[in-house]
Amino acid sequence: MKSAKSNGYIGQAIKRVEDPRLMQGRATFVDDLRLPGMLHAAVLRSPHAHATILGLKTEAAKALPGVTDVFTGAEINQACGLVPCSASMPDLKAPKHTVLAGDRVYFVGHPVAIVVAASPSIARDALDLIEVDYDPLPAVANPEKALEKESPLTHPDHGTNVAFTWLLANGDVDGLFAQADRVIKQRIVHQRLTPMAIEPRGCVASFHAGEGSLTLWTSTQIPHLVRTLLPGMIGVAENKLRIVTPEVGGGFGSKLNLYVEEAMCSHLAMRLGAPVKWIEGRRENAMATIHGRDQIGEYELAVKNDGTVLAIKARTIADLGSYLQLLTPTIPTLTGLMISGCYKLKAVRFELTGVYTNKMATDAYRGAGRPEATYALERLMDLAAAELGLDPVKMRLKNFPKPGEFPFHTVTGLAYDSGNYQRALKKAQDLASWDALLEQRDAARQAGRLFGIGLSTYVEICGLGPSKIMAAGGWEWGCVRIEISGKVTAITGTTPHGQGQETSFAQIVGDRLGVPMDDIVVLRGDTASAHFGRDTYGSRATVLGGTALLMSVDKIIAKAKILAGALLGASAKKIDFRGGKFWVKGKPKNALDWKRLAQEAYVAKNLPANFEPGLEASSFFEPKNCTYPFGTHIVAAEVERETGDVTIVKYVAVDDCGPQVNPLLVEGQLQGGIAHSLGQVLFERTVYDGDGQLLTGEFTDYSMPRARDIPEYVIGSTVTPSPSNPLGIKGVGEAGTIGANPAIANAVMDALAPLGIRHVDLPLLPEKLWRAIEEKTAELRKKKPRSQS
Amino acid sequence: MIIEGTHSIAAAPAHVFDRLMEPAVLQQAIPGCDKLEKTGEDEYVAHLKLGIGSIKGSYSGKVSLSDRQPPHKFTLHMEGKGGPGFVKGTSAIELTADGRATKLHYSANVQVGGLIAAVGSRMIEAAAKKLAGEFFHKFGAIVADAGKQAR
Repeated sequence: MKSAKSNGYIGQAIKRVEDPRLMQGRATFVDDLRLPGMLHAAVLRSPHAHATILGLKTEAAKALPGVTDVFTGAEINQACGLVPCSASMPDLKAPKHTVLAGDRVYFVGHPVAIVVAASPSIARDALDLIEVDYDPLPAVANPEKALEKESPLTHPDHGTNVAFTWLLANGDVDGLFAQADRVIKQRIVHQRLTPMAIEPRGCVASFHAGEGSLTLWTSTQIPHLVRTLLPGMIGVAENKLRIVTPEVGGGFGSKLNLYVEEAMCSHLAMRLGAPVKWIEGRRENAMATIHGRDQIGEYELAVKNDGTVLAIKARTIADLGSYLQLLTPTIPTLTGLMISGCYKLKAVRFELTGVYTNKMATDAYRGAGRPEATYALERLMDLAAAELGLDPVKMRLKNFPKPGEFPFHTVTGLAYDSGNYQRALKKAQDLASWDALLEQRDAARQAGRLFGIGLSTYVEICGLGPSKIMAAGGWEWGCVRIEISGKVTAITGTTPHGQGQETSFAQIVGDRLGVPMDDIVVLRGDTASAHFGRDTYGSRATVLGGTALLMSVDKIIAKAKILAGALLGASAKKIDFRGGKFWVKGKPKNALDWKRLAQEAYVAKNLPANFEPGLEASSFFEPKNCTYPFGTHIVAAEVERETGDVTIVKYVAVDDCGPQVNPLLVEGQLQGGIAHSLGQVLFERTVYDGDGQLLTGEFTDYSMPRARDIPEYVIGSTVTPSPSNPLGIKGVGEAGTIGANPAIANAVMDALAPLGIRHVDLPLLPEKLWRAIEEKTAELRKKKPRSQS
Repeated sequence: MIIEGTHSIAAAPAHVFDRLMEPAVLQQAIPGCDKLEKTGEDEYVAHLKLGIGSIKGSYSGKVSLSDRQPPHKFTLHMEGKGGPGFVKGTSAIELTADGRATKLHYSANVQVGGLIAAVGSRMIEAAAKKLAGEFFHKFGAIVADAGKQAR
């Protein structure tokens, strides 16, 4: 390991300290927890998309040996609060979503009863013995049909399926559209996706009757937000609640939520006086953990013949599913905020209608609203370039703000902190050997092959965010302790679950303190040690959590200088600090190290007057702005004419997330994000039939990318620091997903362009592409009958 | 979804029709059926244990008959529910003489819900045809046996 010196760790591609335990099977996940007397819960879920419950019989299930008890909505809903949602649109109609269904179920997977038993298998067997008499009601699964007058209503008491409307309008949209030489129109369906974290959800709740306190271990991204919200559901005070997040096998937004199972297990642990564990099955995960995307948009872009973009209009429908999880209505509004992308648009009108259907709720899924914006806009840019006969690269360059124009105020009301979009684009072109790639395309096309090149230039909103725009505060907290031994403990309020911040935070703290990384432990994911926190989502953890730790380190150094000064007979101002050592200016030989200072600070025999013992500090970092990472992805793809199969020939990603704390982690995040996009663009779709039955409940029906589908990535970066935090970092957790969707799709569409195919909605399944190719080929044959005949 | 099929049974239509109305015969022939009780005129309660692909479970349900025109045709209604979800269906069954045998054609409109739809929908048609095949194979054997004994 590198020796500790100033700026020694930051910027180094250091392997993750988390990995050995994960790779050796020594990590602890929720399902690994076994508490004495622990009971196991299983949830009975509705097989109907919409039905009235006429009767519920649980006697046979209760009589099964090993079953502790069975609870229905009638027995538990009074004792548990409603599922919380943080959104607050003025016209938002929210159904009262109880932990178990009342007299009506409104999506397939809606929890109807919960069994608690001595083992998971007994609990599952007991589910089969519960008799539910359903009277099916008409259901609606298509959000556009849900807006028709005669549609069945997801919530009949609302009198409509419209949950809310939201408008973002700025500038003279109508005037600019009138001035436009051309209006590019495209309807785009952003298909519904299932996040499919490798570890489904799960929790264990344990009530300590003597103290009246409760500990909940849960596979979540947000233990702190759970601690804020759970008291409202189970009636245990916040200060008697400890939430622990052990290892988490993937979240991607799907675990940025408070779910009914967490509340029910907590409630039942108190009610039954025994710990209660619930582990979600894969099939449950597919139907009852939030889904992502599911927006339909009609987009219009006003452009001049020279490629200048003037204004954008969008009429979008967001399918919310049947009820609201934590951020359900907020996600599609992020699409509106980012709809102007990297370009100097003069006006925007984004009309959004949130719609209820008899499906699982949608919520944050990797990128959360921003991939929809980037995908729509970047498709429109390519369509515009094609219609105007312009080079898509030049068209983008024409509309970028110049590096000197930052902070750049967008027409959607944001202030992009810093950027140099031209540089990232140029670097990506260089890495892709752009001219050679164009020649490769020409040669392939001459040989009759379907070969295309696509790019996307993107910007994202990350480091969320200033508290004034966040429902529950956007700050982050961090605490650093020099222990009595001189070892260092850093406690973060973010909740890393795969992002590797046990490593990157040790790099940040180690550099600033001048302490070897081996001497630093980073604690996360336990509200008993991390007293405050706003957790991990929105590519925020390193930006905000790293800064909060840095602030704490600086407080400790300032305090240590006072102590060192007293011990060395000088004032704090005369103390130099570097590489973990303190000395009086000019006298480096008599330096004191952290070990010595820690001993003095805690043994406390020689402290200066009014000096508090200890070397510990905590800090809240409140960002003034979000961060706006950006970049360019370039993809070359080939479509097999006979089968519609897509092969990614080249993948280049250049992301600018500011200075990189650990390039290995940055690359890992990009690779993972791009893999998610390959899934969305080429394979994945969550399908409900017209009656609201989920048809993609397992990996046999929900196709995810496999190792052989992942191309070799060429990953590069540019560095444009953010002025919003002292490290200048911007965040990278969602960049892959946001940049990749349009780049891959644009490449495939470019491959099909010679056939006259303009747009195919995602996923670009072989069958869809094959049909499009066949249809166009048949048309071409009709137009050009063979000369011999 | 519509599931259709045709099977040949080695007995005359009138005989086949009568046997199809006997709960004891049906219980023997229906795959996984461990209970079939007559609860009223043309109404039965059934209990089945079935596996469709990876979805194994037990179902209880009601079966009823209508549009009875012996020995030519009848309509079968069934409704089953269990741990993996529900199945609902209506099937038109037609019998025609084919030499000394009977040609039986069924055309069923089937709805499934819950886990069966989420996990098994791609396999439902194949599974239903396989189950129907098993049923008619066994039923044919029972009918043929009974015919031999009668002779």
